Amino acid sequence: MVKSQSLKFLFIGLLVFLMVFACKEKPEKYSLPKLGTTAVDFNCQDLKGRIWSLDQVKGKVVLLRFWADWCPYCRYEMPIIDKYYKKLNKDGFLVLAVNVKQSAEVALAFTAQLDLTFPVPLDPDGKMAKKYGVYAIPTNFLIDREGVIREILIGEVFRDENILKDLLKNYFKM
Amino acid sequence: MLVSRTSQRTNFILSISLALLLTLILFSYPGSGTNGRPNDETVQYKGQPLSIRRDPLTRAPLIIRGIESNLLEIKNVSKLSRKEITHIGPSLVDKYKSLLKIEPDQLRLKGAEKISDTWYVSYWQTFQGVILYESSFGFSIDSHGRIKSLGALLYPHVQAPLTSKISREEALKIGQKQIKGYKKLKCMLLAESVLIYPVKKTNSIDYYRVYAFNFFPEEALHPASTVGGWAVFVDTQTGKKVLYEELLKPLGCCIPEDWVPPKPGEMKPKW
Repeated sequence: MVKSQSLKFLFIGLLVFLMVFACKEKPEKYSLPKLGTTAVDFNCQDLKGRIWSLDQVKGKVVLLRFWADWCPYCRYEMPIIDKYYKKLNKDGFLVLAVNVKQSAEVALAFTAQLDLTFPVPLDPDGKMAKKYGVYAIPTNFLIDREGVIREILIGEVFRDENILKDLLKNYFKM
Repeated sequence: MLVSRTSQRTNFILSISLALLLTLILFSYPGSGTNGRPNDETVQYKGQPLSIRRDPLTRAPLIIRGIESNLLEIKNVSKLSRKEITHIGPSLVDKYKSLLKIEPDQLRLKGAEKISDTWYVSYWQTFQGVILYESSFGFSIDSHGRIKSLGALLYPHVQAPLTSKISREEALKIGQKQIKGYKKLKCMLLAESVLIYPVKKTNSIDYYRVYAFNFFPEEALHPASTVGGWAVFVDTQTGKKVLYEELLKPLGCCIPEDWVPPKPGEMKPKW
């Protein structure tokens, strides 16, 4: 009995030691959600002051995109995405382009420069990006009408317009 | 009498609660202009009606739109060269100088790209040749050469040191010290620059002249790695750290199977 208890303590001690050791001097690591899982809900305010949550947009196909204005790759995909947003918004395509860790003024100037029309929610402390395991930008999550993550695309993938077009063909008549 | 006093008190509490609730609703309603969000204003600028949204602190325009008119029209847009694009931003600043409150020669081209017949152009603001962190000035030029609006984050009346008091080497050491296990993680300095870093306070802005460093551990260099890096800004005057931030990696494109790690110089810096 005593022996088994000591072993238990030893095991817990070892576990704690390993956890502490593992946390020491390690840069932050992120893990992306799995495809086919329900997207984590969120609440964030966009540049127009509207509050967005996934629950509220159920029934729409959502492109949840994380970006920042300093990222050169984030910039030139935006007009392409906006083109499809304008085209398919009435059929239930929604783009939520989440600005990560920047001020509203930075995001506003950027969207005005590119004449973007889709909502731009703000994630000033990066909590939402962390929730989604975003470790690089741009990162895009395509979420279906039931709120399930169907695609995760990291990097500047939509510069080739056909990639976005082909993805959206699965949900819309084009 | 007692009942009446109690009911008076209840009424008073109810009225106060109602007033508080109404104030709360009014202040939280988007677009009311009371939640720190500036409203658009219409101005006549040299006879041209413009819609302007201003930065609440600097009062510099964040957006300028021409009302039923263009801000600028570029001739022969189909033959536009990169050299000409470099001059369009300064021309626009010159035209709206008293609104923008910066000088045309303060702009430095950040990027210009043509997508489906439209040019997307952006610039940095500089102060004595040094880039202001997160500053921007940009617009799109449509296939007819029209610039209908512009977006900007500009800082008028910048007051920042013109020279550095501490050396880059000293600053680098200070920067490296901010990263726990810098050597163990085989961290690398992948980008560096001298910048003007504006820090907004309630009623004013502090402008720091900083050495800006981007550090990444070796492990982060693979695009598939989920490890990030750090940005550290060190004040050129005092040697104090003024910014320490975890960095997300900017990724060019999807990861090819035959991927080879990039050389440090090939990584894009965070500015």
